[in-house]
Amino acid sequence: MQLSTEGVLALAPDDASAKAARGLVLPAKWPLLGANEAAAWGECQGSGSKPYQTQVDLGGPAFRCSCPSRKFPCKHGLALLLLRAQDASRFTPTEPPAWVSEWLASRGEKAQKKEERQQEKAATAAPADPAAAAKREDQRWQRITAAGQELQRWLADQLAAGLGALNDERLRGWQTMAARMVDAQAPGLGLRVREAAAGVRDGADWPERTLQRFGLLQLLCEALQRRERLPEPVQADLRSAVGWPQDKAEVLAQGEAVSDCWTVLGMVIEEREDKLSERRVWLHGQQSGRRAWLLDHAFGGRGFEQAWLGGCSVQATLRFFPGASGLRALNAEAPAAAAAPVWPQVTLADEWQRIARRISACPWMGLQPLVLPGAVLLRQGEQWLAAADGRALPLQLGATDAWLLLAASGGRPLQLMGEWDGHLLAPLTAWSEGAAAPCWQRGAA
Amino acid sequence: MSVWTPLLPQAMVGTDRQAQALPAWPGEVGALVAASATSGQPSTDLLRAAAVLAVCSLAGAQGATWTLPLPAVAAEDHLPTLPSGPVQSALVWTLQEGPASLQQQAFAALAHAGLRLPTGLLPQALTLGRRSLALRPLLLPVLGERGLWLAAQNEEWRHVGGVSADAADDARWQEGSVEQRRAFLRQERAADPAAARERLQAALTELPAQERADLLTVLADGLGAADEPLLDSLRADRSREVRQAALALLLSLPNAAHPTRAAARMAALLKQERVMLSRRWTVDAPTELPTDAKADNLDTPRPKNETLGETAWWLYQLVRQVPLAWWTTHTDMDAAELLAWAGGTDWAEALLRGWRDVLFAAPEAAWCEALLDRWPAVSLRDDPASVLALLPLAARERHWLKRLQANELGGLLTVVQQVLVANPPGQSLSPTLSAALVAALLPRLQGQALRDDYALRALLPELCCALHLEALPALANLPRQPDETPSILQALQTMMQVIAARQAFHSLTRT
Repeated sequence: MQLSTEGVLALAPDDASAKAARGLVLPAKWPLLGANEAAAWGECQGSGSKPYQTQVDLGGPAFRCSCPSRKFPCKHGLALLLLRAQDASRFTPTEPPAWVSEWLASRGEKAQKKEERQQEKAATAAPADPAAAAKREDQRWQRITAAGQELQRWLADQLAAGLGALNDERLRGWQTMAARMVDAQAPGLGLRVREAAAGVRDGADWPERTLQRFGLLQLLCEALQRRERLPEPVQADLRSAVGWPQDKAEVLAQGEAVSDCWTVLGMVIEEREDKLSERRVWLHGQQSGRRAWLLDHAFGGRGFEQAWLGGCSVQATLRFFPGASGLRALNAEAPAAAAAPVWPQVTLADEWQRIARRISACPWMGLQPLVLPGAVLLRQGEQWLAAADGRALPLQLGATDAWLLLAASGGRPLQLMGEWDGHLLAPLTAWSEGAAAPCWQRGAA
Repeated sequence: MSVWTPLLPQAMVGTDRQAQALPAWPGEVGALVAASATSGQPSTDLLRAAAVLAVCSLAGAQGATWTLPLPAVAAEDHLPTLPSGPVQSALVWTLQEGPASLQQQAFAALAHAGLRLPTGLLPQALTLGRRSLALRPLLLPVLGERGLWLAAQNEEWRHVGGVSADAADDARWQEGSVEQRRAFLRQERAADPAAARERLQAALTELPAQERADLLTVLADGLGAADEPLLDSLRADRSREVRQAALALLLSLPNAAHPTRAAARMAALLKQERVMLSRRWTVDAPTELPTDAKADNLDTPRPKNETLGETAWWLYQLVRQVPLAWWTTHTDMDAAELLAWAGGTDWAEALLRGWRDVLFAAPEAAWCEALLDRWPAVSLRDDPASVLALLPLAARERHWLKRLQANELGGLLTVVQQVLVANPPGQSLSPTLSAALVAALLPRLQGQALRDDYALRALLPELCCALHLEALPALANLPRQPDETPSILQALQTMMQVIAARQAFHSLTRT
């Protein structure tokens, strides 16, 4: 596996873990370091008398450590991988000790069992009572459709009264409306109303931003009214937009399968409320030219099931969610061994064309992957911009990351990949034309 | 003016109060808006128009037009960057958490190996350089073109950087950072003292006081009679700092007019008495300020909480202007004898403080040694370490070795503290002193002593920056104690990191 310091640090559940891991990259702290083709392991001197036993399954990478930390992966696991990335020769090539081989064997078993369970599930996939399930589904759609009607009337009422008349009391009414949507099993609608409420009086252009949010909600409500007459992929998009998740097992079993060598264009982990972290991985298929988006959640710093490294490529068969934009996907197996990335060769016009096509197919996708070829970083007052081809996009970028990106660019054009929300681009990765390793990744300071 | 502007009046006021036909947009978008305005309800038609505009503007967004010129790009670097690996990770740790003197060593090692900082570390290094003046001259050579360019992009880093090392002489002097200008002037002073003096003199009028005083110190190299007129004129500079710097330099020109006048004034206050068979020197304080006190910089007003009385203060001002060599010649006493004599007079504090000031301006080893042997703690508030710092390294180390061998209580801590104050960063202690320090430290590290010695524990990482490399392995593999507290562990770990980092940086200079 190709390991880079930045790539390993991108696996850290938060900045504190990354920093702590760097502090442990000291050979003196590791009285024992060993590795074979499948795994690396080591004993790390911690605060107790007994050293921690840390091991990494390089195939994942998957981590395990005897330390009591609830962070996953913990600083020891990250430090072990960092050491490995810096100087693999420090690791004695040997047979793994029992505590490593047992874990590896149990991982293999678990994976096998999981597969068996899935096969079993597939075998018994037919629901016990398809008629009852269909009826339940029908009832939920009815509730959501009714909620959509209510929301549409409410939207019209807001514009009849005028946005200028908004006061705190009326805004509380927006929150009530959002809660009603959640009660009607349409949390996606509720979330959009809450976002619209949060956007009121935020920035000089808030009236048009609010109108834009209302417009997208109106479109959603009208689509719900004629849902059954819409093509199936659009129906699937509607379902996602109202916050009714697709069954992952179903996607894995029936979703469109695309096998390819996928370049990880960018990866971001964001902390949400209630110790929830969200990870978005953006992929580009080297043969298919297809873009894919993997969305995962993890609770309480427990880490994600599959580890993804930024700035490398991975052979995998992705299963795509049904939907007209065809972006979101799942990966069934843990990603196989990583290789150097092959960056997409794109023109700016092509990139905008892709985005236009995806938005016209499904306007409710919040974030779009965008590769800006030949982007130059600029600063206007406090606002950072990326200029390419005579146009400039405002960036959503913290100061530390921005200065690192500027240092990496030296003012020269870079290939810049980020998440585009229609107004701001949040850069995730930058690379130079012709170079394999990314020269900058967000948060890899 | 955006595509939304025509909709805003209605949306803000509300369709109830301002029901009117929807505005028209050109092209297919406009046709679609018009075609969907069929609900018969103004507010719903407005929402439908918003829906069309929202989707079309999202799908058609391509950012704003940018017609301004793009900023200049960084010049090509000809220095290679430090490759990733153990040395780089030691550098990352050093910049984040390492002691300041280790950071200086890291930059010096990089410069010695002809390498520059990896671009990913430049922002952090520049931020450190902004906070630490001592770091800047060492940082400058490892910034590379990229780092200099980056520094110029950020207001806060601008004075850390400067112009490219390849720039012409004139640009380095005119546009460089303070460090670059000082380095340039120093270089010129070594090659052509008169040219450097004339360059400085020409620039003096436009320089701020701090920089005038700073650059003036460059003249200390190759100081000669030709510099006297400039220094003498600067005694009247409007900045106290500059006047002090000029006076300090004049002390190293004993034949110059000003120190000669001061010596003559002093001579008038010293008398020799015959007591029995021996002769004894006595000193009087001036009874009043001379009329030309201002012209000769003797009129510094006495601060309010000064311990010296009025006349003692005048004496102190005068003593500060007399070179130390004059005292030994005039009285035929050596430094130790003079110190002992001064202690017996009524004017001990004025004399000692005056001598101390002269000693710091123009260090003389004999006086340093004499002071350290009999530290007049009553009169001098300085730490002896500051006088140690004036001595050449070998003399300093002799003093510390003596102290360590005496094996007094607290001796180790005092020596360690003095080493850290007096030892210039980047200069290692000799193998002999380092070994002696390690030998004194080891029993403490292995026993219980460190547990209660907070002061010593806190100094360990910095001490490891100063010890000779050969002495480090003895500290790198300490046996672990079963009852270590987390804070001891932290201190030992930091110490270990420092040792590992120093060895890593050293590996650069070997290759």
